[in-house]
Amino acid sequence: MSVPGPLHFLVLGALMFCISVAGLFINRKNMIVLLMCIELMLLSVNMNFIAFAHHLGDATGQIFVLFILTIAAAETAIGLAILVVLIRKRDTINVADMDQLHG
Amino acid sequence: MNPALMACLAAVLLPLLGALIAGLGGVGRSTAHRVTIACTGISTLLSLLLYKRIILEQGASLNEVAYTWLGGEWLTLEIGFLVDPLSVTMMVVVSLVSWLIHIYTIGYMRDDPGYQRFFSYISLFTFAMLMLVTANNFLQLFFGWEAVGLVSYLLIGFWFKRESAIAANLKAFLVNRVGDFGFIIGIAAVLAFFGSLDYDTVFQRSDELRGAVLVILGQDISMATLICGCLFVGAMGKSAQVPLHVWLPDSMEGPTPISALIHAATMVTAGIFMVARMSPLYELSEVVLNLILIIGAVTALSMGILGIVQHDIKRVIAYSTLSQLGYMTAALGASAYAAAMFHLVTHAFFKALLFLGAGSVIIALHHKQDLRNMGGLYRYMPLTWIAMLAGSLSLIGFPGTAGFYSKEAIIEAMHYSRLPGAGFAAFALTLGVFFTGLYTFRLLFLAFHGRERTRVDEREQLRESPRVVTIPLLVLMVPSLVIGLPLVELMLYGGYFRESITVLPQHAVLATMRADFHGVWSYAAHALLTWPFWLAMAGVAVAAYCYLLRPQLPGRIATAAGPWYRLLLCKYGFDAFYLGPLAGGVRRVAHRLWQDVDSTLIDRWMVNGTAHSMYLLSAVVRRLQTGRLYHYAFMMILGLLLLGLLQG
Amino acid sequence: MTLIAFYGFAGLYLLSGLLVVTLRNPMHAALSLVLAFFSSAALWLFLQAEFLALLLVLIYVGAVMVLFLFVVLLLDINLAVLREGFIRWLPVGGAVAIAMAVGIIAALYTELEDAAGAVALPADYGSAAWIGQHLYTAYLYPFELAGAVLLVAIVAAIAMTHRGRRRRRAQDPAAQSRVQASRRVRLVQLDKDS
Repeated sequence: MSVPGPLHFLVLGALMFCISVAGLFINRKNMIVLLMCIELMLLSVNMNFIAFAHHLGDATGQIFVLFILTIAAAETAIGLAILVVLIRKRDTINVADMDQLHG
Repeated sequence: MNPALMACLAAVLLPLLGALIAGLGGVGRSTAHRVTIACTGISTLLSLLLYKRIILEQGASLNEVAYTWLGGEWLTLEIGFLVDPLSVTMMVVVSLVSWLIHIYTIGYMRDDPGYQRFFSYISLFTFAMLMLVTANNFLQLFFGWEAVGLVSYLLIGFWFKRESAIAANLKAFLVNRVGDFGFIIGIAAVLAFFGSLDYDTVFQRSDELRGAVLVILGQDISMATLICGCLFVGAMGKSAQVPLHVWLPDSMEGPTPISALIHAATMVTAGIFMVARMSPLYELSEVVLNLILIIGAVTALSMGILGIVQHDIKRVIAYSTLSQLGYMTAALGASAYAAAMFHLVTHAFFKALLFLGAGSVIIALHHKQDLRNMGGLYRYMPLTWIAMLAGSLSLIGFPGTAGFYSKEAIIEAMHYSRLPGAGFAAFALTLGVFFTGLYTFRLLFLAFHGRERTRVDEREQLRESPRVVTIPLLVLMVPSLVIGLPLVELMLYGGYFRESITVLPQHAVLATMRADFHGVWSYAAHALLTWPFWLAMAGVAVAAYCYLLRPQLPGRIATAAGPWYRLLLCKYGFDAFYLGPLAGGVRRVAHRLWQDVDSTLIDRWMVNGTAHSMYLLSAVVRRLQTGRLYHYAFMMILGLLLLGLLQG
Repeated sequence: MTLIAFYGFAGLYLLSGLLVVTLRNPMHAALSLVLAFFSSAALWLFLQAEFLALLLVLIYVGAVMVLFLFVVLLLDINLAVLREGFIRWLPVGGAVAIAMAVGIIAALYTELEDAAGAVALPADYGSAAWIGQHLYTAYLYPFELAGAVLLVAIVAAIAMTHRGRRRRRAQDPAAQSRVQASRRVRLVQLDKDS
């Protein structure tokens, strides 16, 4: 099985990262989509790690992906919990409404 | 350990032990006085033994370190004792007078609720004074110096419920602060120059001071003048010389035994002792010697005059003390250190005698001290009268008495001194003798003779004081009258002080005077032909005329003198000046500093200004904190882009 | 064949990503995200990361995305407000994304030679045993720490969303400091006659 070189995967990860950055900009009010964009970003980064791990035959990349998945899961859980509390208290997930700390 | 050192240690520390037992031991009244009198008595005995060994047997001086307190690379601070002719003389005077006053106190303070406290304080004072005189280094001297100042403060304010006593002890403390400030600068200068605080080291290297200068603000200042001047400021505070004399008359608020012990016989002479001790340094600075001479002469004359207008029996004696201290200081200035020390010794005895006699009168009158309400007391208290008469004769320098020899030596020394101020000093001191005679016998006549101005009901209760009071009086009478006879030749001309006092050949006035000395009796007879004797007699005669024969005359003179009399009443205005322009000026400056520097500059501009500028800055910066999540995200991504660009 | 499969999954991956950021309905976006995870897992298989690929499907698709969907379902969301500025910010977002993509890809092509320095893979590369071997030796402490982080996340999530009655008698400093005297003491003027 001939596998495409690591550059393919790296470009793929970079493109996905840029898509999610654009997503942050255009979905700047919907918090739930923002969370999804962050998930996508983490996914694109994982792609890089696995590509390098494969390229260099090193376990560190894969281990790191494991940790990133763990932390991402925790982040999602907390993020969603905050979201739920927010909806309950303020009845909105509009990011624009959350500006109590502005200067 | 060397037996002499042990004796010295015991002599110094026993009074401390007594003070601790009486003060903190929770003992009863009689135990308190028994313990302290026993401790001070042993201390006196040991001092006398040391005196016998060092002076009478011409034994070697003791100079030993008992304990190294702090050791360092460049400075070693030690507790050491120097017992040489100078300090052993002081030890004997201090412990002996202190012991007698301990005994006298039993009678004087009999009904006082602070009985144990009083004994504790005077024992503590004895300890501190002995530390001062036996020190072999400047630091220990300073310890003793401050400790006697502290006890003096405590004792002036002994009756701490009296407002005037509190004001007086505060005044004494503050004025002494001024002096001690100069003193500690002087000690610091010694340390800086010699790198040591040990007397021996410093004095042996004192020649290095010749020609040494310190440049301050472009002015060359002789190091010797600086050191000696600063040290003398300390002596001025402690020995109450003009213009730092104002605390001593007010210190009469304390109980009379204290006035006798601290403010007449011992503590106030610490300054005299100190200058004598530092003679190797003082000899090197004629500027300071001249200053000492003039200050001493001014004090001697001006304070003597003030004694005439006082009505409080103790204050008259207090001004007399100031005046006599002026005599001693002037003698120091003329490099007649031995004469100053001689007068110190005789003065300690006759002035303690006068104070204790006054105290005896005060006991009899139930703590009334106004001379205008006395008179004719000699009928009721003959012993006290005799004691007071003896003290007065010695004070005015009646030929043959102790005071005669010492004062005569001082006045004569003035004539031989070649310092620029010597002429003035000789005039002031000679004239001072007249006023000494006047105020001394004024006191004696007003209190013991003339019309009885006591109330009739008081007269019935007048009686001689108890024996614990009169015995110390009688004991003190002996040295007051006769101690001059054996000491005068020995102390002034007999090399009594050996190496402990240094006099340069060009200042050696006593050596010049020695040629004219042909024995004590011919000296006394010779005095009948000199000014001081006749001036003193004139003073006595004027006192007799004004206060015995024509009692209305002083009042008329006072009215006629008008402003001059008022000038004397307000004591030349020193107090008014200190309170008004000086303290007031300092207060005004302090007020401005508080308002302008502290409140405005520091608080408003620096402290609050920092906070306020932060507030202004953050008012700008906080606009960046929009609170919008996407702004932050945008900034992050922008940063990422910039980072990428920089890397690329 | 492999390349075709790769490009197929890669296209699916990017497409699903685009859908996630552009779709109007969060429900649809979440489902697109599921698709993105699936295609990503497939791509990882090309890199012989079988264990991680399976993990991604099981945990992310099976647990995390289900959580997402639940939340989206439970919340009654006003979509109109949330879509505000979508068109307005599209050019900016697109421009930033394109700039970044160009920058990163340019950097990748200049810095990396394709397939250069490739290393021979170990025989058991990518297997659960291989990962476990490393995870439980060299990375033991980080692994334990990750477990602790998960525990904290669980506790935090429950603590935040828990709605039961709080059975504690602790003080509430905020309430205490908010108290004003006027609310505590009421001054009453009493009639003298009554």
